[in-house]
Amino acid sequence: MKKASFNILRVGLAITFLWIGILIFKAPEAWGGYLEPWAVNLLPIPLAQAILGTAILDIAIGILLLTDFFVWGAAIVGSLHLVVVLVVSGITEVTVRDIGILAGMLAIMIDALPGNLFTRRIDKI
Amino acid sequence: MCTLRFAAPKILSKQHSFIIFLKNMTVFALLFTLSAIGISETVYLIRKRIALEKPICLIGEDCLTVLTSKYNKIFFVHNDILGLLCYIIISLVAAFLVIEVRPMWLWIISIKVLVGIASIVSLFFTYLQWKIIKAWCFWCLMSATTLWVIGVIILLSAII
Repeated sequence: MKKASFNILRVGLAITFLWIGILIFKAPEAWGGYLEPWAVNLLPIPLAQAILGTAILDIAIGILLLTDFFVWGAAIVGSLHLVVVLVVSGITEVTVRDIGILAGMLAIMIDALPGNLFTRRIDKI
Repeated sequence: MCTLRFAAPKILSKQHSFIIFLKNMTVFALLFTLSAIGISETVYLIRKRIALEKPICLIGEDCLTVLTSKYNKIFFVHNDILGLLCYIIISLVAAFLVIEVRPMWLWIISIKVLVGIASIVSLFFTYLQWKIIKAWCFWCLMSATTLWVIGVIILLSAII
């Protein structure tokens, strides 16, 4: 991926993750309503705690993406997180948006994987 | 009739508070987005400076002239670090305002004061580039523009 397009996607997704984390902190009980009942029953901890944990995870992913540190790790965790979100929230009117964010996150993950970085270094030499 | 008379203001009041909520959320979202962009810019500049690498200059070739000039510090602290701190505070304040962390008045005053001072300092740095250094730095101008836009948003939100 070209450097500029990669960075635009990285910063854009970082802002999305950070903002969602903040919105979850604002109203955690409202976000808990997005979970399917079967998923809530599977939780080993109270729903409110799980949702706040999700907010912290979202903010951590956002910070790593924004500051360009450990991007591939953040992208892997972010992609897995989005897959879990798609599974536990079921098909709704906003599912298509999550698919778009997941696609962007996968693109970042593939481009930032250490294997790719290694290839780039060889190319430079 | 009485019921209608009393019911109507209630509905209007609900609508009005919803409009205010939407307006505030839009302002906070814009402030947060712009400050996040500022954080990514300044982190990029700090990393390039520490790695002793030349930053990519998207417009012109004078970025390094400005970034390595004698004006790149205020009280022994690099401007990029001050910029990063400023953007981090703005984003945190925007987040606190969204989550409604009290005391709200303190966050509102602090963001106004901080953005006011930062905008004036940015104006001074732009003048330095134009008249004293006689070179333009893309990243410095982008950071200044980001701060000015944040300032305009805060001003407009107070007026509208």
